[in-house]
Amino acid sequence: MKIPYSWLKEFVDTRLSPAQVQEALTMAGVEVSSCRFLGEGLDSVVTARIIEMRPHPDADRLSLCKVTDGSTTFGIVCGAKNMKAGDAVALAKIGARLPNGVEIKKAKIRGQASEGMLCSEQELKLAEASAGIMILPEDTDPGKPLADALGLSDWLLEVEITPNRGDCLSVLGVAREIASITGEKVVLPGVPFPEEGEPIGDLVRIDVSDPDLCPRYTARAISGVTIAPSPDWMRRRLALCGIRPINNIVDVTNYLLLEVGQPMHAFDLDRLRGSRIDVRAPKETLTFTTLDGAERKIDPGMLLIRDAEGPVAVAGVMGGENSEVVDGTTRVVFESAHFSPPSIRRTAKRLGLSSEASYRFERGVDPAGTVYAADRAVSLLSRFAPLSVAKGVIDVGGGNVKPRTVPFRPDRATRIMGRVYAPEACAEIFGRLGFPVSDDGTGTWNVTVPTNRFDIEREIDLVEEVARLSGYDSIPTTYPESKAPEFSVDDRSVDVQERAFDFLRGRGFSQAVNFSFVAGRTWERLGALLGFSPADAVRVVNPISDDTTLMRPHLLTGLLSNAADNVRRFVDDVRLYESGKAFGKSYAEGHFEEPRLGVILCGKRLPGDWSGADAPADFFDMKGVVEPLLRHLCASPVHVVPTRLRPFFEEGKAADILRDGEAVGWFGAIRRELLDSFELTGPVFYAEIRLAKAAASPPPPGRYAPLPKFPPVFRDVACVFPAGVPVGDVLAMVRVVSPEVEEAAVFDIFTGEKIGEGNKSVGIRVKLQPLDRTLTDAEVHSIHSKIVNLLENRFGGKIRTS
Amino acid sequence: MPGTSERIARLLDEGMAAIAAARGESDLLDAKGRFFGKKGAVSAILKGVAALPADERRAVGELANRARAGLESAFDARLAEIREKERLRSEGRERIDVTLPGRGPMPGHRHPVSQTMSDIISVFRRLGFSVHGGPDVEKDYYNFEALNFPPEHPARDMQDTFYVESTAGDLVLRTHTSPIQIRTMERMKPPVRIIAPGTVYRSDSDITHSPMFHQVEGLAVDRDITMADLKGLLTEFCRMTFGPGKPLRFRPSYFPFTEPSAEVDIRCVICGGSGCRVCKESGWLEILGAGMVDPAVFGFVGYDPEEYAGFAFGMGVERIAMLRHGISDIRLFFENDIRFLSQF
Ligand SMILES: [Zn+2]
Repeated sequence: MKIPYSWLKEFVDTRLSPAQVQEALTMAGVEVSSCRFLGEGLDSVVTARIIEMRPHPDADRLSLCKVTDGSTTFGIVCGAKNMKAGDAVALAKIGARLPNGVEIKKAKIRGQASEGMLCSEQELKLAEASAGIMILPEDTDPGKPLADALGLSDWLLEVEITPNRGDCLSVLGVAREIASITGEKVVLPGVPFPEEGEPIGDLVRIDVSDPDLCPRYTARAISGVTIAPSPDWMRRRLALCGIRPINNIVDVTNYLLLEVGQPMHAFDLDRLRGSRIDVRAPKETLTFTTLDGAERKIDPGMLLIRDAEGPVAVAGVMGGENSEVVDGTTRVVFESAHFSPPSIRRTAKRLGLSSEASYRFERGVDPAGTVYAADRAVSLLSRFAPLSVAKGVIDVGGGNVKPRTVPFRPDRATRIMGRVYAPEACAEIFGRLGFPVSDDGTGTWNVTVPTNRFDIEREIDLVEEVARLSGYDSIPTTYPESKAPEFSVDDRSVDVQERAFDFLRGRGFSQAVNFSFVAGRTWERLGALLGFSPADAVRVVNPISDDTTLMRPHLLTGLLSNAADNVRRFVDDVRLYESGKAFGKSYAEGHFEEPRLGVILCGKRLPGDWSGADAPADFFDMKGVVEPLLRHLCASPVHVVPTRLRPFFEEGKAADILRDGEAVGWFGAIRRELLDSFELTGPVFYAEIRLAKAAASPPPPGRYAPLPKFPPVFRDVACVFPAGVPVGDVLAMVRVVSPEVEEAAVFDIFTGEKIGEGNKSVGIRVKLQPLDRTLTDAEVHSIHSKIVNLLENRFGGKIRTS
Repeated sequence: MPGTSERIARLLDEGMAAIAAARGESDLLDAKGRFFGKKGAVSAILKGVAALPADERRAVGELANRARAGLESAFDARLAEIREKERLRSEGRERIDVTLPGRGPMPGHRHPVSQTMSDIISVFRRLGFSVHGGPDVEKDYYNFEALNFPPEHPARDMQDTFYVESTAGDLVLRTHTSPIQIRTMERMKPPVRIIAPGTVYRSDSDITHSPMFHQVEGLAVDRDITMADLKGLLTEFCRMTFGPGKPLRFRPSYFPFTEPSAEVDIRCVICGGSGCRVCKESGWLEILGAGMVDPAVFGFVGYDPEEYAGFAFGMGVERIAMLRHGISDIRLFFENDIRFLSQF
């Protein structure tokens, strides 16, 4: 909300400067985000009058003007044509530095001296654009600072009001806040006006049929008024505060909205059918055209203002086209009411219509202020518009407004805040706030809270008032007593993640962070390839764009597009990982979410290698990351098996990682069609690990086994297998042939004509490590035979002899 | 036995000659083997000393030992000589270019948001807080209601909410990590000391707002926790995160689930307080929201507000990362441009 400093000063004659007001309000919880001097850059700009104007002898587009500031005459060369002799204009004198940064110097333009500049509104930053120079009102006196002439010797405060402080959504409210800080007094302007028309009761009848939704309805009526523009000072203030001036009647209601925070509405009395008003929520659905010209569907329960025949306004939100003040209006009813905040909010939400009025009613408008606002409106209007005010005020529900009493214990403030607040200090603060205190000596006070403070209902609310008005900087810094820290399941997941991040970082991978959303269009196009039906996705009801429609079921699409984006930027070797959640529907809980770790790899095996090994990465580079990673995370043993369950992988180049029979991850080469749709060429490898399942429990501490005292024996076996034999299984079986087999590893693998089509030759090195003796030749031979037997009979291998 | 002494003398001469004639390390080792190694001639004589008559034993033993010592020292000297010659010869021929890059990947980079989050977490873990998580797809009850955002309250407008399709119509993408406060307090009795890191969502997108971002929330509940404790803890946190000598400012604010509430500003890390674009000329940067747990929140989880007090605080991780690294556009964080990531 924007508030001119001068307007605040009308309510509290504070000794604080604008900058001090900004600081004081901010430190009391009413944040003033900016405080701008309106006359910035207008220091050497004055009002002046054109005495004479003639064309420039050497330039068609320029004119020579003689202008006076009342005492001195200046010769000015000017490029505009919209002025004439006698006009009042804005003159920037030599030395002025204009708001747009231009510095005015003495100059010769096409041979003619120019002793200043006549300014346009745009140059003075008073308007976005302007057609010529600024022409001031005829009655402007020359020689005055322009800032004064335009009412710009003022500051505009931009105040951010939190939702609990509806009472501060006005000049009066902020003035009260200043008074609470400084102890100064708020003075309400008097509201004199002649009250000589007919009794209001003869002009209009008002009923409130739904008093729960409208606890108070106040009205004043006037007649004999002529619709005209309101005076400059009022139009200027409205404009400064962001409200467009319309006419004297509407402007006055808006002025009061800004000034005291009471939203008002003006009805053309002659357009109220049956000269009556009934405040009532309809029981049926109907349509109604609001004054913005939009036809609105009104549901049962939305509070309306009706006349004898139908709705004339949506209460507290917006008036109707059928009863608004128009050019020929002469008789007006001013409404100044109090509506229930939740009711207004529901209606505004459902209509998708938020107005200055509904914004304030939602946050709470002082029910005690309706009459003052109505009187102030009539009083202001009567100052500049001839009119006759009807006798009396209608005030339905006026007797029901009562302040609230809230208990308060001074020692409670001390206990919560951690500093001592003396009872006298608390009482003094309540005094500044205008909260009467009654202390019956029990240690619990009764504090009376005025009706404008909707936010104060409980003791803690009063504690906050004491704390904020004493200043938070007076609270000391202490430290919470230390307690034995707990080690939670999530502490462990944080540790597991950090281990994973460190490992991957060491292997050259950088971390990506993607949104948890995926675009709807991606899934419609690629759903089958991505292995997930959009029907099973967790769906956002109100996405801001297609990109935020669905929650991702895995991390693949994010990392794939990261890879594609980087390749497009000439970064061909992509190694990225991401840790984040995947989402999906589940029958049990409606939806599930699971922490995952995605890893993507494409480009060279060893980027930056100079020794000729710049081969492209392949499946085993990815496996060589994932397997040791899982081991690093101390998961119990996992098994890698071929899989056909992941449609995003190329067939035959995809594996699941199983742990206790459950897939805890998968990796493989991304299939061609998917690469095409992301505009990627080279092979791309991807792995995804279900982090929580893969590293579910911390590993048990390692158990010591005695180190062998006898030398190991190594045996190499070369064997030709059919190509389909899984070498991993072969090694696993070899390892359990005999307890002496400590390790079996592949040292060589090849295919080719020499060994026959459809075959592969595998060289296996076996390490035999006896614990308690040196192996005899016979023992070694026996184990070797068992291995040969296994390879030939179990796996259909043929031992090669070289 | 004079024959033995002469043999020793001869062996000594021959051995010395062999050592002197050795052209490389293998010649030298060969000479050592022949003359004074374990199976060498001099060693054989020494082994035979015991069999000699008593009157010769001593003299022969002494002579043989002396010969061996002489050969050993000649051997050592020659070995050093040969190695030095070898070194001088290979120098130049075998020198490698040590400035070439080593083999194997250079380390990757941590995402600045993740790194900042992890730093924040470790500061609070050191201060005795433990980590608790919660779902991203959250119930309205936990995200709003139990945090004292009543259904028709304008405070709900403070956060632009994404709603999630569900049969009950009560699911949202959490707009803050504060629901974890409620979930944790429902599960455990005080004392509570937790931090809740996580992703949060708001339907908002521009250079300082992103539809998804990260928060870390903290909560402490105990018998005599005060706002002064909150000030102390956050002062310590800021010192550990932004370095010493950066004053903090606590000013009153409003959050539905804390009261009294505070906004915490740090002295602008860009301009040092003189005013700049980043701090909107105020000299201060807002980095945290905090406050004492509202008694209404305790009501929802069954804690007695007369017995317990607590504080809560929350911060946006991206904002802190932006300040730490001088990043002005939040969208850079989610583009995952390796040229960007490599800067951290
Ligand atoms: Zn700054």
